[in-house]
Amino acid sequence: MVVLDCQELSYRFPNSKTIFVDINLYTAKDELVAVVGPTGTGKSTLLRVIAHLIPPTTGRVFLDGVEVRRPSSRISLVHQSIATFPWMTALENVRLVLSDKNMTEDEAIQLSKKMLSLVGLEGAENLYPKEMSGGMRQRVALARALGASPEVLLLDEPFVHLDELTANEIRKEVHELVFNPETTLKSVVLVSHNLHEVVQLADRVYIMNGSPARITDVVRIDLPRPRDERDPLFYDYVDTLYRGLDIRSIR
Amino acid sequence: MDLAIPFATLATLGRIFGLIGLSIITGWLLAYASIKSRSFESVYIPLVNVLESIPVIGFLPFVLVIFVLALPARFGVELAVDFLVFDAVAWNIWIGTYQAFKTVPEHLIEVSDNYGFGFFKRLKELYIPHSIPRLTSNIFSSFADAFFYISVSEVFTAGAATASVCPRGTCSTFGIGTLITEYLSSGNFVGVYYSLASIAIAVAVVTFALSRLSRWAVAKYGVDTSDAIKRYAGRWRGRIAYPWRAFRAQMRNVPRLAARSKTGNLVQENRSHNGIAKYVMYAILFLLFAYVLYSSLRIVISVPVSTWYSFLQETPRLLEYVGADYLRVTLITLASLAFAVSVGYLLATHRRAGDTILPLIQVFAAFPAPAYFPLIFIFTLPFLEHTLPFIYSEVYIFILGFLSCFYYVFFDFWIGVQAIPSEFNELARNHELPFSTRMRRVIFPSTLPYIITGLSSTINSAWAGIAIGEFWPNIAPTVAPNGLQVPFGMMYYISANMANGQIAAAAYVSIIFAVIVAIYGVVFTRNLMDLARKKYVVEEGVFAA
Repeated sequence: MVVLDCQELSYRFPNSKTIFVDINLYTAKDELVAVVGPTGTGKSTLLRVIAHLIPPTTGRVFLDGVEVRRPSSRISLVHQSIATFPWMTALENVRLVLSDKNMTEDEAIQLSKKMLSLVGLEGAENLYPKEMSGGMRQRVALARALGASPEVLLLDEPFVHLDELTANEIRKEVHELVFNPETTLKSVVLVSHNLHEVVQLADRVYIMNGSPARITDVVRIDLPRPRDERDPLFYDYVDTLYRGLDIRSIR
Repeated sequence: MDLAIPFATLATLGRIFGLIGLSIITGWLLAYASIKSRSFESVYIPLVNVLESIPVIGFLPFVLVIFVLALPARFGVELAVDFLVFDAVAWNIWIGTYQAFKTVPEHLIEVSDNYGFGFFKRLKELYIPHSIPRLTSNIFSSFADAFFYISVSEVFTAGAATASVCPRGTCSTFGIGTLITEYLSSGNFVGVYYSLASIAIAVAVVTFALSRLSRWAVAKYGVDTSDAIKRYAGRWRGRIAYPWRAFRAQMRNVPRLAARSKTGNLVQENRSHNGIAKYVMYAILFLLFAYVLYSSLRIVISVPVSTWYSFLQETPRLLEYVGADYLRVTLITLASLAFAVSVGYLLATHRRAGDTILPLIQVFAAFPAPAYFPLIFIFTLPFLEHTLPFIYSEVYIFILGFLSCFYYVFFDFWIGVQAIPSEFNELARNHELPFSTRMRRVIFPSTLPYIITGLSSTINSAWAGIAIGEFWPNIAPTVAPNGLQVPFGMMYYISANMANGQIAAAAYVSIIFAVIVAIYGVVFTRNLMDLARKKYVVEEGVFAA
């Protein structure tokens, strides 16, 4: 069953060059799809176009068969730079996106707590971002995104600002976190430069290349979960992805 | 056209730039002393922060009296005006220079250490060049501030308020504000129009020149900026849009600079102390303080004890006057804030509208309200007097106050909205936050430090507006022989008493006011600023290791 369906997307900056063209991408239920490509191919821009934070130059995005015409928390973006409001506690940061959800204050607080607990931040509800580590802040951002009851989660390099140990720890949990039965999530689109991370997490990988960028290949990762990086097949997939990337195309 | 007009405009401009120049030079010396001496810095910075939040106009009558008593009348008034204009522009420039000196890159300091640069060479080759981009962007607001306060001062000193200390016309300063007041008194409207046109030309030329200067300064003196020295092909559209782009580029630098100064990327100076600079500054501060104290005592001693006793008995009534003026200032401030938040947000989020309207507001802001307000008064008086017979004077004070100050909080709020990280805006849109939630939880907290800074300046200038608005007897003798007067107010009390020779009474209420605003500045403004700096730092919201 197709959840997110992007058809013939292209984007051109006003009075500037075209970033990508002919992007056809879909996600199925309970599927984590990754997008990889050399720097400058417009992967982050693609996520913003999918969320309709910037409208596509051409093409359309469908969610459950209905065209997306404006930003909606049903497609929730987690930023590359971890964005948490410094004047709000962890709980308030999550509570913020429940303002318009027709629920009582008490229900909103309970749901916020539940989301924080889901990402492992039970007991840290009253901490301010500056009192948390980068990994904790990213979990708050994730809890906030999940609290908004999205069907699709867009993750833009979500671990790039974390140290390797913390990133590894969250990576191991993220699949279980996002597809937890207690969330409304149906699928995830992950943008990443880290091919190990992509093989660790993704079910399918779209490879973007060129200028303007296009989808040049789609690789299905058929590895059982939890995935083991020492598995030779794991490295085969990393190699496949690496060979699929045309580094020269961005010159 | 009266030839005095261009000369008066040049005289006012000369006074403004002379005082800005003085602020810059003293700012360099004080900033240098601060980075060289921790003890000096620990006194200087809190002092400037407190003085910055006190409305200078509250001291105008008091300062005027002190200078006039000590010096020949004409010279005393000139110095009083200059002192107040200096006071209006100095803090902004001093703090900007200090922050620039504190953020000189460590490796450049090491180079100057390595090659043994002395005091002058270090200043000339390192610190001063590094402060130029910051200073040129600060001169925008300093120019507008100075023009406004100098007009207020000129109107104040040219009017009846100083009649007792120096007979009318004998000690008013020569400037365009004084000239307009004289034209209005004699009903010479052609003279007023030419004067306004002259100010408009001066404001436009200066704004344009400062924009060019600012752009050049960033390109030449900015450290590791992406601003290249651009050469324009002479297309008129580029030239017209250029100053505004430069201003916007400068404004975008503001949060970055502020963030740099907060993130601990400061140069911890523990190098050789420059004793001479430090002691010279201590001496200057001490002399200034001693002089103010001496002059105050002279006034106190010259007034009989029985008079002081009657002043004390009058204190409750005077406090009511102060309260009335605080109410007026509050209303003006709230209106300015409402305008800033509505129009400022609209222009910040609609770039095309902003590109068109903001330069107009910028030029308008640099155009001093006291210069054109008499015309508004003359043309609207018959209507307002008829429709609002009991409160039309209050309406005029409100308008004058609003025109004098709305742009401070407006521009600060606008800059604050521009500085909100794009991630926050995307989050708000992504999660469809309702407008009220977005304003309450995202926009207001994000812009709070900017709003507080803007409100502080807005309140100061609102005081200046009502200072002249409550007692402006010669605003338009042809249509209003008694001028604009609102007796229930402290500023009226001060001005009217000075006009009647009751200098001690004016000084007494001026002191009460000074004490109140000092307490207000320390307790309210400083605390709010501290809160904003500790909790509402939007740059901390985006974590990028």
